[in-house]
Amino acid sequence: MIVSKAFWKIVLKNISSIITPTIILLLFGAISVSSTSSTSQFEAAEPSIVIFNHDENIGLTKNFIEYIDKHAEIKTDYEDDDRLKDALFYENVIAVVDIPENFHSDMTFNHNPEVKIRSSAGYSAELAKTMISRYLTTASAYAKTNISEQELISKIDAQMENSVEVSIDKAVDTSKYAKAERYFNFASYSILSCFITIICLIMSAFNRTQLRKRNLISSMDIKKMNRVLLKNCCLYSLAAWAFYFALSIFAIGADIMLTQYGLLFALNSLLFAGCATSIAYFISTFALDASAVNGVQIVIALGSSFLCGAFVPAQYLPDSVLAFAHVLPSYYYINANSKIAGLEAFDFDALLPILIEFAIVIGFSVLFIFLTNIVAKKRQKIA
Amino acid sequence: MFWHSYKYSLKALLKNRMMVFWTVAFPFILALFFNMAFARLHDFDVFEPFDIAVVNDEEYKKDEIFDTAFKTLGEGDERLFNIELSDMEHAEELLNDGKIDGYVYAKGDKKEIKIKENGTNQTVLKMAVEQVSQSAKMIDDIALSEIAKNAGQMVDISAIYQNAVKIVSETEPNIKDESHVMNMVSVEFFSLIAMACMQGAMLSCEMMNRCMPNITNRGKRVAVAPTRKGVIVSSNLLAGYTLLFISLIALIFFTRYILGVEYGDNIPLICLLAALGSLTATMLGMFLSVILKTRESAKNVIVVLVTMVGSLFAGMFGGMKLFFDELLPFVNKISPVGLITDGYYSLYYYEDLTRFWINAGTLVLISAILFVLSIKSLRRQRYDSI
Repeated sequence: MIVSKAFWKIVLKNISSIITPTIILLLFGAISVSSTSSTSQFEAAEPSIVIFNHDENIGLTKNFIEYIDKHAEIKTDYEDDDRLKDALFYENVIAVVDIPENFHSDMTFNHNPEVKIRSSAGYSAELAKTMISRYLTTASAYAKTNISEQELISKIDAQMENSVEVSIDKAVDTSKYAKAERYFNFASYSILSCFITIICLIMSAFNRTQLRKRNLISSMDIKKMNRVLLKNCCLYSLAAWAFYFALSIFAIGADIMLTQYGLLFALNSLLFAGCATSIAYFISTFALDASAVNGVQIVIALGSSFLCGAFVPAQYLPDSVLAFAHVLPSYYYINANSKIAGLEAFDFDALLPILIEFAIVIGFSVLFIFLTNIVAKKRQKIA
Repeated sequence: MFWHSYKYSLKALLKNRMMVFWTVAFPFILALFFNMAFARLHDFDVFEPFDIAVVNDEEYKKDEIFDTAFKTLGEGDERLFNIELSDMEHAEELLNDGKIDGYVYAKGDKKEIKIKENGTNQTVLKMAVEQVSQSAKMIDDIALSEIAKNAGQMVDISAIYQNAVKIVSETEPNIKDESHVMNMVSVEFFSLIAMACMQGAMLSCEMMNRCMPNITNRGKRVAVAPTRKGVIVSSNLLAGYTLLFISLIALIFFTRYILGVEYGDNIPLICLLAALGSLTATMLGMFLSVILKTRESAKNVIVVLVTMVGSLFAGMFGGMKLFFDELLPFVNKISPVGLITDGYYSLYYYEDLTRFWINAGTLVLISAILFVLSIKSLRRQRYDSI
């Protein structure tokens, strides 16, 4: 009882170490929820475009702007050039289109007026350019046939209405689980951070040489004390995991989290929490002081989160980084999250790859428990 | 006496391992992590041809115009996609394995697309198929209009069609691309430099605490020593400033020359901004140490809070700078982290230096205000009892 009391007293004293990563996780969860789309039907990407029209808004010019409006999101209120440049840099605006003076008449009379485009980098910019190029090519081709502006507009409209049928080959709409995937990927940082900090601080307090020597000669059975400490560490981990799961219901929504998918995410995070506990317990055997614990926590939690794709999706990571990440449990946890999010059926064949990832995470837990025993025995002899 | 005190202050600072870890080593570790995580982000942002398949069955081969025109989009350096010709079964397999973004097949005289998920690549593919299909329709349309114009006369239909093909194939849109593509990931590193800079306020805070009789025992000794207080305070602050500035310059050179982060070419101004940022951080540390009559750890928490909130607003966590600029436009204009980040951003992205000088000037102004407030509070401090 005395040991348990001391344990939870230290937890409460260091509650700020839990609050910070939890707030970050909550913020991240809220951001994840706001960005979702369905995959059951085709939805064209709509790049955001700013138009500077130096011509009158009539005839072909008006038609061109209406066409852009139909296929993109037209943004206004960017008269300030610095603001526009910043928006282009941060890709809040994908392209800026300058429609020249007399555009409608020059185009009608086959003078092929020059349209200036400034765009950001990337795929959305390419899409915006393709879209604008399509309109201008059509307009220029018909302008060569010497027809009136009105005829030109109706011919362009007729051509632009031709669209291709796009079908999506997906048995289940799994896109809604992407936000849960992002939340639980990020949770790997919070779990590692909270567990390492708290467990190491508590264990370092108990493992302080003077205190340990006092405990060794006290009437309390040292094995019993270790058992109580281990039990409380597990209890703390379980409570923290339950809190993060409850938070996910709040952040992601019960409609997703209280389904088979949600439970698989929860099971995966529970296994990872177990692994994080074993890692924290292993680190605590080195009896680091409080300031060193923070350094170790930062390097391990931030390092594995950056290297395994908790912050930046794994597909964007260099191959060498991913190859190294294979030695970290976070990699398998994040991999499992990705496989759960893309799961289309709940049969054994579909679940097998996920179960393999689970098994690897359990394997890491066993490995760290084994290492903890070896190191602890060695250190006990030294003490 | 000044240099004697300066030398020992610097030595004492370097011996404080935790302080050196958080202010010097930690930004280097973070820069390495950033580099590993963000190294390919910019590559992904630059458009590269993506993989698609075309079901090359008899039905598809019938439409020669489409076939020829579509294949040109998959040729050369400027190609939109890499095309793999296959049968329907193989295309389906490639799609399910995630090896292609979609495949095109013919259904009657129309073309259809099958994809696995929504995205920009899929939209580009749809647009490209529409554009090529449209070209064939335009040729028909232009030719038929020409024939209709000459109704009742003998016309050479073949010549009309050839002319229509020529019109469509030779038409190029007159687009002038004035894009100035930059690496958005650089901002993450700019905000990291700014964060490292402001985290350095802990150094001057620590050095000032050593001179404060109401906080440390060393401060009590300093207070009763015959050495002028001004000499002790200024040498301590200069020691903190020196360590911070050198570590920042090392960090900038490390990120620029080892990690390949782009800062622009104006090295003197890059270093000047680091010097001004260090000055602001030193003054902030001094101010917090003098104003707050609390524990050293509490002062460090405030420094970390100012730094982290500033970093969040400056776009360190996921490039949300613009979002916060729209939401609370004044924050990044007075936050030192925001000003330093924006200073490096303006050196990198803008040719005109006005914005850089505004940021630099604001940093000097903040430093001056913090210095005046600190000195006002520090002067004539007398203690009846400590």
